[in-house]
Amino acid sequence: MKQKNDRYHSLIWLTVILATAGTVSSQEPSLFEASYEPPRTAFGHPDLQGVWSNAMLTPLERPREFAGQAFLTEEQAAAYQAQRRQETFRGDRTVDVETDVSHAYNDFWWDWGTELVKTRRTSLIIDPSDGRIPPLTPEAQARRDARLARRAEHPADGPEDRLLRERCIVWDGNNDAGAGPPMMPSAYNNNFRIVQTEDYVLLLKEMVHETRIVPLDGRPHLPGSVRQWLGSSRARWEDDALVIETTNLTNKTNYQGASENMHLTERFTRVADDILLYEFTVDDPAAFTRPWTAQIPTVRLDGLIYEFACHETNRGMMGLLSGARAEEAAAREVASE
Amino acid sequence: MRRLFCIALIAVLAALWGLPASSQALADEIPRTADGTPRLDGIWQALTEANWDVRPHGTGHALLPELGAFTAIKPGLGIVDGDELPYQEWALARQQENFANRLDLDPEGKCFMPGVPRATYMPHPFQILQTPDLVMIAYQYANAVRTIYMNDPGPAPNYSWMGWSVGHWEGDTLVVDVSDQNDQTWFDRAGNFHSEALHVVERYTPLSPNHILYEATIEDPNVFTRPWTISLPLYRRVEDNIELMEFKCVELVEEKIYGHLRKQTDETEE
Repeated sequence: MKQKNDRYHSLIWLTVILATAGTVSSQEPSLFEASYEPPRTAFGHPDLQGVWSNAMLTPLERPREFAGQAFLTEEQAAAYQAQRRQETFRGDRTVDVETDVSHAYNDFWWDWGTELVKTRRTSLIIDPSDGRIPPLTPEAQARRDARLARRAEHPADGPEDRLLRERCIVWDGNNDAGAGPPMMPSAYNNNFRIVQTEDYVLLLKEMVHETRIVPLDGRPHLPGSVRQWLGSSRARWEDDALVIETTNLTNKTNYQGASENMHLTERFTRVADDILLYEFTVDDPAAFTRPWTAQIPTVRLDGLIYEFACHETNRGMMGLLSGARAEEAAAREVASE
Repeated sequence: MRRLFCIALIAVLAALWGLPASSQALADEIPRTADGTPRLDGIWQALTEANWDVRPHGTGHALLPELGAFTAIKPGLGIVDGDELPYQEWALARQQENFANRLDLDPEGKCFMPGVPRATYMPHPFQILQTPDLVMIAYQYANAVRTIYMNDPGPAPNYSWMGWSVGHWEGDTLVVDVSDQNDQTWFDRAGNFHSEALHVVERYTPLSPNHILYEATIEDPNVFTRPWTISLPLYRRVEDNIELMEFKCVELVEEKIYGHLRKQTDETEE
């Protein structure tokens, strides 16, 4: 009987604890055990190797509807996740013909992911606290305006007018999001592989098979006169976090409006067997009024990375440019009538 | 024969450099993992003119007369054991046609991924990263990359430009079975070609800390009358600051591929 009572009391306490935990976790659910010890390579480094996915439905910037709220409650998260699924995937071809031909046959191929970040954050950006990209400097804003104006006026004069991803050079987001690094999720192929040796870390992004081989030996960045699409990356271990610094970018990727002098710091921490916490800080005084940081708890995938031969079979560019020429010819014909 | 020549050459070079002259002594200095497996990690490059033609060939004119000696064909003794490729009759004619039209047809000119084995002897360095489960080879040219699975992942899901690579160790040799390459890549700028039936078995054998003997057996019953082999040494790039740089060549070929679809200047509104 005594035993039964104890059990009864335990149940009450458990309920109280769960209820309290419920409230607390609507602010910041813990992703991992603080005591988690990552597996290690033969060289003693935390083992981050494997294939990871950063397909997350959580937007980079906090939506206005969640202003002032860093974390969703469980109920909000469920509703918002359903809403995001709806927004990012309209591939159900069985609804009606209109739905099918207007987007479903295309959306069928999309793979934005199906879940919000497990932290239930309202944005990938964790700093500044409003979850939004800090305002652009006037010069950066002017550069962005000029880019958009040029694109509006010359949408497809030649391949250089098209987005970098349409050219299969590096993958960028829609419109004026610019291209990484950092490694941002997009419409599909949101997978990357990490391979580690004693002296190097290799990051292979499935999209456009972007590969960075990052030395760990403390060498300096490339000379400033050398600029690369993916920049010059150098890595080091800070306790159990892999930290990669990237400089020497071009003025063509313009990640979120950044300049070629963007200094990117990426941090990878294995916080659980199946979660690799990916954080990056963008520092570019020429573009942003302050540095900003985003966080993506990437998820382990039990799969392989397959070859993504984008440029080799870029029929899309042929179609885009031929289409533009055909439209111009049609317009000339109308004008001459 | 060619392999013996490579070993002899390296031994002679080593002797000249005051290193132990016997290949056994050189093998003793090969970097190894804790369990004794050779470590192929590093940045390597072939020093051969095989990318012009895998067969023996002399000097030749550049593709366009105005280039003069720039990009003229550089002479080389080739990397093919027995020198000639055992083409079927129709295929030899096709290779000659490819050569005549190489300015338009060579996939290298369009910045397409080079396939295997051509990736090995492109005039660019490549880097090997070796782990027990995977060997990654990243090529500077076109940012091409291969994943060599040391545990067979099963059949390839489809044909691809760099193929499907499964490796294992035979003594000190990394043996890689490469299948499922598409038929779009060439062996060189001379139009030597293959079909989707191409099957390549590569052998990477370290001969010293700074040399790898690269051998490959090439089978393609649709194009050749028998299998044939190539061999060449790979040299470690020993510069302190060596690293793969970016040769993302897409922007270099956009005019070549899409130039005819550009808006004409006289129509451009300013």
